[in-house]
Amino acid sequence: MGQISLQAVCRTYTTGTTKQKVLDKVDLQISDGNFSVVCGPSGSGKSTLLNIIGTLDAPDDGSVMIEGVDVSTLTENKLAQFRNKNIGFIFQNFHLLPVLTAAENVAWPLYFKGVKRRERMRIAKEKLGLVGLANHVNKLPKHLSGGERQRVAIARALVCEPSIILADEPTANLDRKTARKILDVMKKLNEHHQVTFLCATHDNLVVEYAKQLITLADGKLTTEATTKAEAKGAS
Amino acid sequence: MDLFYIAALNIFRNYRRSAITILSVAVGCAALACFGAFINFTFEGLRETTIRTQLGHLQIYADGYAENHVADPWSVMIHDVDRLEEVVENIAGVSTVTHRVSFSGIGSTGQSSVNMSVIGVDPVREVDFADFEIVVKGRNLLPGDTETGVLGVELAQGLGAEIGDWVTVLTTSRDNIINAVDFQVIGIVRTGSTEYDSVFAKVPSDLVQRAMDTTAVERVVVMLNDTADLPLIRPQIEAAIAALPEAYEIRQWDDLADFYDAVVSLYNGLFRIFAGIIAIVVMFSVANTMTMAVFERTGESAALRAIGATRGITMRMFLFEGIIIGLIGSSLGVLLSWLIATGIDVAGGISMPPPPSMSQGYQAYLKLTPNVLVIGFAVAGISTLISSIYPAWVASRANIVEALQKQ
Ligand SMILES: Nc1ncnc2c1ncn2[C@@H]1O[C@H](COP(=O)(O)OP(=O)(O)O)[C@@H](O)[C@H]1O
Ligand SMILES: [Mg+2]
Repeated sequence: MGQISLQAVCRTYTTGTTKQKVLDKVDLQISDGNFSVVCGPSGSGKSTLLNIIGTLDAPDDGSVMIEGVDVSTLTENKLAQFRNKNIGFIFQNFHLLPVLTAAENVAWPLYFKGVKRRERMRIAKEKLGLVGLANHVNKLPKHLSGGERQRVAIARALVCEPSIILADEPTANLDRKTARKILDVMKKLNEHHQVTFLCATHDNLVVEYAKQLITLADGKLTTEATTKAEAKGAS
Repeated sequence: MDLFYIAALNIFRNYRRSAITILSVAVGCAALACFGAFINFTFEGLRETTIRTQLGHLQIYADGYAENHVADPWSVMIHDVDRLEEVVENIAGVSTVTHRVSFSGIGSTGQSSVNMSVIGVDPVREVDFADFEIVVKGRNLLPGDTETGVLGVELAQGLGAEIGDWVTVLTTSRDNIINAVDFQVIGIVRTGSTEYDSVFAKVPSDLVQRAMDTTAVERVVVMLNDTADLPLIRPQIEAAIAALPEAYEIRQWDDLADFYDAVVSLYNGLFRIFAGIIAIVVMFSVANTMTMAVFERTGESAALRAIGATRGITMRMFLFEGIIIGLIGSSLGVLLSWLIATGIDVAGGISMPPPPSMSQGYQAYLKLTPNVLVIGFAVAGISTLISSIYPAWVASRANIVEALQKQ
């Protein structure tokens, strides 16, 4: 049993009179140290799946267990704390606070945990070092390139040492070269720091990095281990 | 602290919009404070007029006056007037002590008869009071006057009296005998209150005492140099007169000033309405800005909630913005009202038409007191806070998934 476990998860969107079953009794296990990639065409339900795993959205049916916790039992505030502690997020649009420097942005999730400012900033700088931005700690997002912003976002996702980092289309707003750099950073974190990633993407470049490939089509999900995972001897 | 920091940074993000909002809070605060200051000034003017033309700061009566003066006025007269006046006069801060005997009667010049209220005063001691009466024709009472008197403007009109005419006032003396007092008009005056001017006649107290066949007086009126000293000096006067053989009771001007009270409650009502209007205007302005801020930042606040901000924290981030805008705006408002008040001082006041039932216009100034500044600050500040609550609440309740899709 993996650290993330979905059982018979259903999600149906109702728009007017039409009902669209985006996830149809989906089962999924993601184990520690994995680099999982959800792929599928646009509109296949990748974001829906990630949002449910990220506890931002709730399934209509089925159970979602993260770190052994059935998240449907948590209240809104407990969920916020739970996400803060266990789940890191990387967004397509980065979603950094434009008024804060790179280090302050990275440090911010620690505020929700009640870490003191000095300590927060120390950890934040350390994480920025991990993503190769040690020289940019005091820059505002507007003075950073797209790739640098996404690296700040990765550092922010790392800062509370979550059990999993969810990345929805992390490379969609980046050029190829920058996208590869970002993926290299993620790969390094995965291999050397045992950070678990779950990416949703329709970018084949990301698929190249997958240890576990999840394909979504017509509400159904298929999982396969890639050669990468086999080469590593599947953690 | 950290939320304040981020809220402050967010305010500077759209500094032009924030500046306009802060300005509208400041103007709201200043408008309210200045209106309050104007009312203060008006109250003070009316208070001083009331005190100095009619009531004095304190009135001393024989003990039992309040209870018995209607049924049996003669039983509650002050007999040892000189001693009482001397004792009170010697207290520091007391500017004038004078006595009055008053009665109501029907006055007539031969042409027409008018109800009037005659006050017998001591012209020697009355100089300070007389200062506040504006002599329209002739002159005021002077030391040495005996069978002369002055009339309020409206009373003189009602009687058809001119300077030099004789007026006879019919009244009842202590044994219910009809008695008459005659005096010659030497002046026509205004006290400032039209109502009072239509019954007001002032004659030397000797004249009244002779007509009434008494040496006693009805009351002794005490005026201070400064109204603000009243709470300090009143106990001293009470202590001093308690040592005298006769028993007295004291009433303070505000117990007697019905007109003043009526004006105060009218103006206070107006002030409350104005405060309500200011609050609504400020709330609209702030609510607009806060709603726009919340709307623009839908995406990033959803991201913050995704990474662990609770609804409470999200709400506070926006509320603190409102609080900061309110604090800065209100502080500027205080400064602004001070500038306006100083400007009006420098310009020599604003010319005002006569207030209701007053006969003279006046120069108005703003009397800013801590009280009105605090009210202006609080109304503008609290309105800002209140109107931030709903937008902040909306931000904290937004659907995270939908909000994340926005830029
Ligand atoms: N809030 C929503 N209301 C209605 N339909 C939605 C909503 N969110 C997503 N959908 C629909 O569900 C399908 C899956 O969406 P999504 O999970 O965003 O797909 P992907 O991320 O793979 O592009 C799409 O057809 C989309 O139109
Ligand atoms: Mg998507």
